[in-house]
Amino acid sequence: MPERVETDGETRYRFLGVEATRREAVALALGVVALFAVPDVTRLSDSLQLGVIHQGLLFGFAAVGLNLLLRHTKLTSFGHAAFFGTGAYATAVLAKYAGLQSVGLLLLGAIAAATVMAALIGALSLRHTGLYFALLTLAFGQLLYAIALGQSALGGSDGMPIRPGPANQPLLLGTTFEPAVYQILTYYLTVAVILVGLFVMYRITQSPFRNALDAIGQERTRARFIGLPVRRYVWAAFVISGVYGGVAGGLYAVVRQYVRPEGTLFFLRSGDILFMAILGGFRTLVGPLIGGVVLIFLQDVGQDVTQYYEFLTGVVLLVLVYGFPRGIVGSFRSGGVVSERLGQLRREPSAVADWARSAVRTTERKAVESLSSLRIILFGVD
Amino acid sequence: MLEARNLRKSFGELVATDDVSLEFGREDGELVFIVGPNGAGKTTFVNLLTGFLSPDEGSIVLDGDDITAMSANERVDAGIARSFQVVKVFEEMTVRENLRTVVLTERGKTWSLFSMADGHDDVERTVDDLLSKFRLDDAADTVAEELPHGDRKLLDVAMSFGLDPDYLLLDEPTSGVSTREKEYVIETVVEVGREAGVTTVTIEHDMDIVTEYADRVVALHQGAVHGVGPPTMLETDDELRRLLLGVGE
Repeated sequence: MPERVETDGETRYRFLGVEATRREAVALALGVVALFAVPDVTRLSDSLQLGVIHQGLLFGFAAVGLNLLLRHTKLTSFGHAAFFGTGAYATAVLAKYAGLQSVGLLLLGAIAAATVMAALIGALSLRHTGLYFALLTLAFGQLLYAIALGQSALGGSDGMPIRPGPANQPLLLGTTFEPAVYQILTYYLTVAVILVGLFVMYRITQSPFRNALDAIGQERTRARFIGLPVRRYVWAAFVISGVYGGVAGGLYAVVRQYVRPEGTLFFLRSGDILFMAILGGFRTLVGPLIGGVVLIFLQDVGQDVTQYYEFLTGVVLLVLVYGFPRGIVGSFRSGGVVSERLGQLRREPSAVADWARSAVRTTERKAVESLSSLRIILFGVD
Repeated sequence: MLEARNLRKSFGELVATDDVSLEFGREDGELVFIVGPNGAGKTTFVNLLTGFLSPDEGSIVLDGDDITAMSANERVDAGIARSFQVVKVFEEMTVRENLRTVVLTERGKTWSLFSMADGHDDVERTVDDLLSKFRLDDAADTVAEELPHGDRKLLDVAMSFGLDPDYLLLDEPTSGVSTREKEYVIETVVEVGREAGVTTVTIEHDMDIVTEYADRVVALHQGAVHGVGPPTMLETDDELRRLLLGVGE
């Protein structure tokens, strides 16, 4: 049962090492309920699709892993799709060539493959930091993409199907299910994996290991001079974050029963995963997961509305960077833009007028600046 | 004993460390000050000892073992800690978290993925102890980047001290600190160092401080050792006075 702790005059609840204020505990409980309710909710509405949310959660889970690097070691990986793809392809290969049928074993295979791949890519790219690190991860990701594209054994650009069961039927716990039922069952499998994965990540971010990663991210030189073998720690974090990607990729393959290079390994996928972490709030634990669902949902809706759906996600990214740099979850937290503004609004409703005025002023100023730049570019004079 | 044997380091044409041989810690808790004009190679020398740079020639010997090839973090494990002239602390952490991170590392607990960072009682006790020794209790929950400069300097030194070193190398712990705070910083450092029997090697520009606290003074000039002796050397050695203070020119 949850245990009550009083710290700094604030009541907090502790359960399995997870400590939360009442507000956070309620948000957490609502979040879990929402996760479980998704299949029922999506049945009620045409615009919400279980498959879309499921896919968002899977990529979001990979982003949760990426976030360990981004948030703590401050390294930006542009190649995280490599591990997602490795997990997905490992699952496909094990199902097709080794005849593995158990989803549990397939996922273990995905984890093993992603671990090896992350260990390798990490060892080769962590000699550098900053831009060169980002470029190296991007390069290794593209290498894997090219391999998947070029190998006929892996299906080339067509990709390959995963058919664990007899007669091409999906198999879970040794039983075949109708596609609709299979979709729901695998969804709950994903939910279970995500809950365990988030719990593990939460514990990691409360541990001394996190202190080491933060130290490295904030002042790398000093980290060495307090005795931390920096590269070994960053490498460990890189592997852990890769494993999250591998699990997500393995689940994706099980759910979709098909893997393609475009969908899993292409570098734009890496960009998406990074975007998800920032969109949801990379200073938070669950932000990247929510970012995942929101981004995939936006892409899906955007595709229905216009063929230039990237425009939509581009605009969202701009709004985010200028208006909500802490991301969705970060903005709602105490100290975030949204929660600050809501508090202000409660105290003084007339504040809205001020915000509107300031927004108009800012837009006006930006417009004048842009016009001025344009004049200078076009005519050489302001 | 920490020894530098014929250390040499140059950057292109510039010889920053020129055949320097020195010994520190013949007696435990020795307080050595390194003095010299700008560009004398003081920081380079500390960088060589601590593994920030590797020497072109010569060796560094710790208690009879050659540690020249050791990496910076291995030297910390071997008992050599340092602070930095420009404060290098973990800026987004509070003072307490900074010290906790240091002590967790020193105790080899940073590989623990599932224990609570603040749940190690022995670590917390040491952190509290460091906070009070360095008079940082009041600032314990302040984020490092928001600390006043003097406290930042103290935190930097406290972090090196939290590594439980045998040798502590401090690169200008009082630089940029107001005259009033200077005494406070150096007194704290000296007091804590003496009590724990740590051999402290400090680069210092303020000759009043050197005269008041030094057991031994090392003077460097153009990368080479100009002289080693008691603090009275600062009064008696006219050549040194001219170098340091521009007296007699």
